[in-house]
Amino acid sequence: MFIEGRELVFKHNIPVTKVEKYWKGLEEGKIYGTVCKSCGAKYSPPQADCSECYSSDMDWVEITGEGVVEAMMEQYTFPAGFEFLKEPYVVAVARFGDFRVVGWAREKVWVGDRVVAETDKDETGVWKVYFKKV
Amino acid sequence: MRVGVIGVGCTKFGVLERTIQELAFEAVREAVEDAGISKNDIDISVVGTSNTRGYELMPAVPVNEYCGFAGKGPIRVEAACATGSAAFYTAYSSIVSGMADIAIAIGVEKMTEVNTPTSLAVGGRSGSYLWEFHQYGTTFPGYYAMHASAHMAEFGTKPEQLAMVAVKNHRNAAKNPKAHFPKEITLEKAVSSRYVAYPLKLFDCCPISDGASAAVLASEEKIKELGKEAVWVEGIGFSSDTANVAKRGSYTGLKATVEASRMAYKMAGIEDPLKSFDLACLHDCFTIAEIMAYEDLGFCKKGEGGKFVEEGRSDFGGDIPCNTFGGLKAKGHPLGATGLAMVYEAVKQLREEAGELQVELKNYKALTHNIGGTGHFGWVFVLGL
Ligand SMILES: [Zn+2]
Repeated sequence: MFIEGRELVFKHNIPVTKVEKYWKGLEEGKIYGTVCKSCGAKYSPPQADCSECYSSDMDWVEITGEGVVEAMMEQYTFPAGFEFLKEPYVVAVARFGDFRVVGWAREKVWVGDRVVAETDKDETGVWKVYFKKV
Repeated sequence: MRVGVIGVGCTKFGVLERTIQELAFEAVREAVEDAGISKNDIDISVVGTSNTRGYELMPAVPVNEYCGFAGKGPIRVEAACATGSAAFYTAYSSIVSGMADIAIAIGVEKMTEVNTPTSLAVGGRSGSYLWEFHQYGTTFPGYYAMHASAHMAEFGTKPEQLAMVAVKNHRNAAKNPKAHFPKEITLEKAVSSRYVAYPLKLFDCCPISDGASAAVLASEEKIKELGKEAVWVEGIGFSSDTANVAKRGSYTGLKATVEASRMAYKMAGIEDPLKSFDLACLHDCFTIAEIMAYEDLGFCKKGEGGKFVEEGRSDFGGDIPCNTFGGLKAKGHPLGATGLAMVYEAVKQLREEAGELQVELKNYKALTHNIGGTGHFGWVFVLGL
């Protein structure tokens, strides 16, 4: 026998103030990483503080050009929050020089494929990176 | 100071109509009875549960009370799917520190109180939410699928080789009445199952299971005083890796496994892991995870994991029987319980109490390998007589 628990909804307010440039950048078609001015450590996704040398003096650099897919998956069973999708979606990790970027692939990609990145928002208004095969 | 395991308990894994405290109680009672002590002899309790799905959001105290340990701990620990091992280590450390003579590590997880999309969304947050799940809907099978894609692309690992892990582990689970899926499957059934997260199919994935397990640990002095036989903790290793998948070194293995095993092997004086253990309990939440584990633990060279299972080297009668009780894949994977269920399996095997699933003992040593997330946490134990 089971009884139904009381409903509890978590809808978090996520502070992105310190990495606002990244989120604003997506709306302008740009993907940013950060580089520590003190020790040179590179971060993608970006972070405002350096985990290596504890400096908070960072350069924001745009990630551009062609990337190479290093890992991918195509998700067939949808997690809560992604019910709006109608078809399986492809997530890939691609390397652009010193930076790796995660993105949704517009078409199925495989490891070793060359891709370019663009930004767009999904049906729920969340901005993100999309990969297209070269 | 030497620390030994004197009692173990484990529930059946599956979709269980029990609350988290009722479930923990079953494993604790078995472990305490197995130790042949009174629960009042226990100095401190450690409750390991990830509990990101269950209704009891702060379950350590309810579990502790129900098991009769009010006033003794509890210390709650969480390390995703490696929570049980973190609980074991915490109990071990409490004894080594001299603060306790006897400690109990309890691992428990209620996975089935929410539906599958919710469970997938919770598991998908095991990386770095804002940069992964929020934007891209990554999931736990999805992360391991990424590793599988990299392994297949670099080494030519085949879907059939992944499926062979599932077939082997289901064959073992079929003889384990505590397994979630105690039934054999065919290779054909596994390779023809539907995709969950390409390239992983349904039979590459562990089930969503409830379960609990527990271990009673004691100091060598206490064990002598009680006149008990113990399985000794000979080596412990731990490591971890980045939360963000984009910040990993490589996708063809888990660095946390490599580092944790080095540490445990050094402590236990293990030089050739393939020849040192009578069995290994590997973290096979997905079939690719067991293949990467063979390599990262040093049973074979990087890239040869597919061949290792194909040649039967991880099966009964092979070089090192792996997941003799069915593994996470077929026995089930209740996150908090898994690491201690491995200890349960190792102890039962080393005491020659594994029945039909008994391995032949030559070294009297077992290895457990418990991973949290996708190599976010890594734990390796060497247990021996
Ligand atoms: Zn720095």
